[in-house]
Amino acid sequence: MTAPANEVEVDSPFDGEKAPASPRADLVTAAVLFALGVAIIAQAWQMPRFVEQSGTGLTAPGIVPGFYGAMIALLAGLLGLRAVRRGGWTVRAARRPANGDGRQLLTAAVLGVVYAGVLVGRVPFWMASALFVFAFTTAFEWVQGPERRARRIVEAVLIGLGTGLAVTLVFEKLFLLRLP
Amino acid sequence: MTDAFNMLLGGFAHVLGGGAVWHALWAVLIGIVIGALPGLTATMGVALLTTLTFGMGPNVAMLVLVCVYVGAIYGGSRSAILLNIPGTPASAASTLDGFPLARQGLAGRAMGISTSGSWLGTLFGTLILALFAPSFGEFALKFGSYEMFWVAMFGIIIAGSLSGGDPLKGYIAGFIGLFVATIGQETNHAYARFAYGNGDLAGGLGLLPVLVGVFGVAEVLSAMRGPAVRAVSSKIDSVIPRIRDITQYWRTILRSGALGTFIGAMPGLGEDIAAWTSYAAAKRASAEREKFGKGSIEGLMAAETGESACVPGAIIPVLTLAVPGSAPAAVLMAAMMIHGLNPGPMLAITSPEFIYQIVAMLVIADMVKLFYGLVLVKPLLWILLIPRARLMPVVFVLCTVGAFAITSRLFDIWVMLGAGLVGFVLRELRFPMAPLVLGIVLGDLLDKNLLRGLVLSGGDLTPFFTRPISMGLCALTLLAAAWSIPGVAGLFRRRRATA
Repeated sequence: MTAPANEVEVDSPFDGEKAPASPRADLVTAAVLFALGVAIIAQAWQMPRFVEQSGTGLTAPGIVPGFYGAMIALLAGLLGLRAVRRGGWTVRAARRPANGDGRQLLTAAVLGVVYAGVLVGRVPFWMASALFVFAFTTAFEWVQGPERRARRIVEAVLIGLGTGLAVTLVFEKLFLLRLP
Repeated sequence: MTDAFNMLLGGFAHVLGGGAVWHALWAVLIGIVIGALPGLTATMGVALLTTLTFGMGPNVAMLVLVCVYVGAIYGGSRSAILLNIPGTPASAASTLDGFPLARQGLAGRAMGISTSGSWLGTLFGTLILALFAPSFGEFALKFGSYEMFWVAMFGIIIAGSLSGGDPLKGYIAGFIGLFVATIGQETNHAYARFAYGNGDLAGGLGLLPVLVGVFGVAEVLSAMRGPAVRAVSSKIDSVIPRIRDITQYWRTILRSGALGTFIGAMPGLGEDIAAWTSYAAAKRASAEREKFGKGSIEGLMAAETGESACVPGAIIPVLTLAVPGSAPAAVLMAAMMIHGLNPGPMLAITSPEFIYQIVAMLVIADMVKLFYGLVLVKPLLWILLIPRARLMPVVFVLCTVGAFAITSRLFDIWVMLGAGLVGFVLRELRFPMAPLVLGIVLGDLLDKNLLRGLVLSGGDLTPFFTRPISMGLCALTLLAAAWSIPGVAGLFRRRRATA
């Protein structure tokens, strides 16, 4: 059995997973999370205290989120300090060349957002799902080259229609659930 | 004791009525397929199937979800052995010896070991659940607001410390989850927090759409990013488990079963930690240590037994404390709430028989799993060969249905998308997902009990630290947090070495 060109046999599934994020990425993340924590504290502080109702103000809605905001800010500060100690401030993250991975990710994300965010609710669900599955399958199988492309497209159409109809049938008719 | 036995028999009688075997057969099968397919996890499977159970009675719904959970954790080993890719994170340890065995032409034997280890592991964990959950449930009745606050906090800290390798990121993920849980109306004054006048936000972010996003959408994106994989072999030798493999490694099975169940019962740790810990313990105790990582039967048996024993273990705190032991158990708990079953300390009083019904469901699921383990080999191999470009869009469609179905709000689909994208980014930045999920699930528990405790004590914080059980839980929480500080664990080890 020979593998198609875009398939590989992976020796270790953890090579990529276990690699830690770069100090620069951690520093940027820490800055974003610190800002989030401070924003949560500020919002929590502005919430009403309901002192006149509880007598003590201990049931104020802002206490718990304020505490979480403070913890996020504190831990983000520690993450930032650790990233600086590891060279996040001085060492520039190696810019990864634009590769197929990034394009594939973007394609999947855009198709997903267009389907769930735009099509669903505007066109019948079975049709939206059929279009999405067809577009997704065709987009990702296009790179396999012109050989047997027409056949793959026909298969994608069938898979799309099959998914749209099967999901509608199973969820709406069999399990009596409302679909968008 | 007689009461317990009668309730156990009653549990079986109750569960086995109404086409239970049929439901168990299809649900375990779906679970195994979901678990086997890389990119689809047990958490996602339980979340998606929760949608299907809305129209079912609570007992059938729980049976279906328990079967999916048990099946998915087992199914992950198929792709671990044949593809060297764990179908679920829980099966990661199984790749170390399962894949080398497959490469040696022993894929069938490896699957037989996986089947017997997984079957015995779940059975062992279920026995522990049946023996200890009722009495632990009665003990949990002593827990008040102060204690429940610490239980929730301990869950976040222990999950943050142990679930992802970087405790600091684990804690941050946990607190982000807790923050997400505060969005929407709070219970004391019905004040809508972080809603900005939006009616949908005032209703809060649904647990299921967030979980489907974090585990479904994010996993679809992750799966589509990397290279595709292929099975090592399409030829399989006999998958019938060998009695000798079991009798020879009975100590490993017992040790892994105990470790797996214990880790399952710890809030938020889950099956992957159980498998790795069982594997490491087996390697340390083994006489054939050099074989580990090169196709060790003992190593594969340990990992499989540990991860499967973790399933019943993770359900113990769900039933007794309303605190999930793993991410799939968190979704199972949410499903229990959706179906009007209220897990937690009061369960021991309101419906003690439910614990035994869960025991019966686990045993049935385990038996069906054994059946499929013996007969379902070739069809699973075909399923593993489905290209991801054809599978993942179908999964995405199911995620969308799952997010929408519970309240029929388009808003929930947006929540799913948002949670999926944020979850994906956090994953890329190496933030563990288990504490995030636990934070979202435990947020309400922590919020209510902190405020209730403060109101009861008139603003005095001392009961949180001075009541006996509170004090113990607080000490455990601080210890778990201190353990993750670089140098502290090393200090303990050095002292023990010099003593």
